[in-house]
Amino acid sequence: MDLFFYSLAIQLSALIAVALLRSNRAASAAVHLLLLAGLVSGFVSTLSALIFPADQPLSFNIYGVPPDLFRFDALGLYFLAIVQLVAIPTTIYSYSSLKHYIDKGKSVKQLLAVYPILLVATQLTVVSNHSILFLVCWELMSTAAYLGMVFEKEKKDVQTGSFYYLVMNHVVVFILYVFFFLLHRHSGSWLFSDFHVSPDTGSLFILLYVLALIAFGMKAGFMPFHFWLPRAHPIAPAVFSSFLSGIIIKTGIYGILRTFQFLNPTPEWLGWVVLAGSMISAIFGVWYALAQHDIKRLLAYHSVENIGIIGIGIGIGFIGSAYQSLPVQVLGFGGALLHTLNHAIFKSLLFIGSGVIYQNLGTRNIELMGGLARRGRFFAILFLVGSVAISGIPPLNGFISEFIIFNGFFTTARELKNYYPLLMLISTVGLAFVGGLAVACFTKINSIMFLGDERKEIKHFHVSVYDYLSLGIFALLCAAIGFYPQPFVRVINDVLNRAFIPGNSSSALLNINWFYISLIFLAILAGFILIYIWKRGMNKKYGRKILPAWGCGYERLNPRMQYTASSFADQLNTIAKTVLGYHKKIKPPAEIFPAKNKFESHADDFVDSKIILPWFKKINTFISRIELLNYSDIRYYVAFILIIISIYSLIGFLWI
Amino acid sequence: MDLNTLAQGIFALLTILVLAPLFAGVINKQKAIFTGRIGAPVVQPYYELKRLLRKETINASSSSFISDIAPAVNLIAMVVAAAMLPVGFMKPLISFEGDIILFAYVLGLARFFQILAAMDIGSSFEGMGASREATFAVFAEPIFFFTIGSVAFADNLTSIYDIYHSIRLDNVTYIVFIVVCSISVLILAVTECSRMPIDDPNTHLELTMIHEVMILDNSGVDLFLYQYSSYVKLCIYAIVEASLFYPFAVQNSYVAVIIFMVVIAVLATTLAVVETVTARFKLKFVPQYLLFATAIGVLNLLIYTFTK
Repeated sequence: MDLFFYSLAIQLSALIAVALLRSNRAASAAVHLLLLAGLVSGFVSTLSALIFPADQPLSFNIYGVPPDLFRFDALGLYFLAIVQLVAIPTTIYSYSSLKHYIDKGKSVKQLLAVYPILLVATQLTVVSNHSILFLVCWELMSTAAYLGMVFEKEKKDVQTGSFYYLVMNHVVVFILYVFFFLLHRHSGSWLFSDFHVSPDTGSLFILLYVLALIAFGMKAGFMPFHFWLPRAHPIAPAVFSSFLSGIIIKTGIYGILRTFQFLNPTPEWLGWVVLAGSMISAIFGVWYALAQHDIKRLLAYHSVENIGIIGIGIGIGFIGSAYQSLPVQVLGFGGALLHTLNHAIFKSLLFIGSGVIYQNLGTRNIELMGGLARRGRFFAILFLVGSVAISGIPPLNGFISEFIIFNGFFTTARELKNYYPLLMLISTVGLAFVGGLAVACFTKINSIMFLGDERKEIKHFHVSVYDYLSLGIFALLCAAIGFYPQPFVRVINDVLNRAFIPGNSSSALLNINWFYISLIFLAILAGFILIYIWKRGMNKKYGRKILPAWGCGYERLNPRMQYTASSFADQLNTIAKTVLGYHKKIKPPAEIFPAKNKFESHADDFVDSKIILPWFKKINTFISRIELLNYSDIRYYVAFILIIISIYSLIGFLWI
Repeated sequence: MDLNTLAQGIFALLTILVLAPLFAGVINKQKAIFTGRIGAPVVQPYYELKRLLRKETINASSSSFISDIAPAVNLIAMVVAAAMLPVGFMKPLISFEGDIILFAYVLGLARFFQILAAMDIGSSFEGMGASREATFAVFAEPIFFFTIGSVAFADNLTSIYDIYHSIRLDNVTYIVFIVVCSISVLILAVTECSRMPIDDPNTHLELTMIHEVMILDNSGVDLFLYQYSSYVKLCIYAIVEASLFYPFAVQNSYVAVIIFMVVIAVLATTLAVVETVTARFKLKFVPQYLLFATAIGVLNLLIYTFTK
């Protein structure tokens, strides 16, 4: 794996380019070229190690790096491949998006310096084998993302949103310190490869799981801890929100899967807890999304939903582990792993798409958009591909991973008997319900943003070649996994065999009739093309005309009379208004000639406004009450931090 | 798959595709008789489809490529869904482990593009219909899995053909099961196919409709494709319902066909009677109505738990 480290070196050399080149434009070009070169070479090496593990030495020989500092096991390699694969198109888009800032005369040196660090730190996080190194990379990754997020720091919502992200990171890292310290105490080593705690340890085992699920779950954005996602995603520059949603929250999933490697077999109740929590995340994540008008905030809630779906897979895997049932584990974890890849792909596509729209229209409010499909037809198609994929509709990749999870439900019921058929039937209905809500949500944003007439006049709509290239790669990946899932499923099965479920001989994942499914999908595509050609022929024969829409005889329809996103989703939101905190402000017209009127609808996140925020406030009042020394100068606080750290280190030295 | 099953599958699919408009015609004829009219002949839907084919297509000025492709997507999704259903004793063309999931999601594909095509017109009429379709679909989806899905979990079968074949009558709980399932599948069919009391396929008041209003601005071959897909969809749900009564004839395949026909005919009469005697629900009651059907589905679970 030497090539991996050389590729990192190429990526890091981008920092030198930032330092040396004075012109923003030249620096941007150099940085992105170097990053691309590094990422592509890294991806090739990761892919070959993943596919041909026998031919590739998974060890490395770099001067000065101890051999057990990094470990290239199958799980790490799989996540490394996801990071590099998704980072390549994201980097292509990054070039074109930075050009917009440069054209406006804004210096982008900050983003240029932070982005390579973010990439390198994320790649190192998923392959580090030493706890301290893992924590350092983890912290570096989080901080780099934070620095990218505050790029437009003069805006008020950027300041508050990024602060939530920062607080979340601190809490996560604090819990992780305790987690790894306990693991170290138990095993006497700092290396991941040495960690193993059996359930016989009782309370330690449970404590470790609780810590890991809270810390990694918070990073991933599971439901009660999702508060930072809808705040941090909308404010970050498009590249960073895409990376945040596509990759960084997946490191939380990586963490949970690693924890499972250290601590197995899991008790049965834990599987239930994860399954129930994930189901709640999935259902309410998508329902909250339905109530949003801000495209990036909406997509952030969709990340909560998809993390929930991944979590459902993990929950099934945990239940399988409790019963030592291989097929259940394979299908549960397999579905989770594939959905992790799928979500990274289509969520990046959608975030980059929304970034392109924001650059052109200068707004994230979907109520002000409309008619984009006729401005950028190809762009609309690419965005539609992402939307169909994320709704889990055949024939794209979202369906494949959800299908594996559905199969996991059926297999669990078959293998474990008892009360499981009942529980799995409820899970099936739950996941189908999520699918229905996702369809409602993505038809909403596609139709309001792209279809109909322009609600606000669009002066120009330009999508650059780089944008198309980046979106096109993602859309192709969506189609590839959808139409030809065999190779991807085989790799995942291999990952599970090699690193995850030792001694796995179950071929439950490969036994699904993938060839048949590919065939049906191709039939759908071919049938569609045939019917479409026939329809065009009929159009030619009997004529096709473009006329204004029917307005009941009223001639002067205007774009403001179109259906809005709020009215589209109103009925569904009203049904769940307590949980969504959905409320409308409207004054019914009173006189015969009503004056100008106003209508507002809001959705405050219930979990957020009723649970998380009051809790934050309580902590705040508590701390201000015990505050002994109140100085307005920041230097005093820095001094305090230094003193506290010295005391900690002293205790540490004396104890060890 | 040998040649015989393949031929059977193709024959079953063709039966659905050819006879789908007839089923709608039969319902309309019965409805007319119940309301004291003579009514159009049962083959009237064929004439109407033929007429549509020869008309000019008109697209709204604000429409985009979605209006162009959606009718074709809609039809192919319906055809694929229809290919997964057993007709009488015949094995369907598409049948594999887990096709129950694909069945539900392929119908989702049709719905996705139908809603988009409606919103593509940019008129509020279509917007209302699309919004209602999206809302009611969310509540209709669980009904399907609670009914057919509960039979699937009872015997751990995941292929629609096998699921229907597993229904046995030696156990009295299965009879209760079928009765309960048939009620909630009927409600599901009524919702998904936009019939009374959810939607009125006959009125031309845009404000009250769901499916008809979504295709208000379509004409010519586009309207042909939409109408034909909706006939196929009605037929699909009729078969989902009728196949529940399949076990009465497991021994003899000819009896199976006869029973199948009888059940379909009874179903058509039921729909016609329901449409004659009931009025449309207020729209805000529709989700409650669907939740009622879901609650019946939960009843299935209880039956299941007590019999195991």
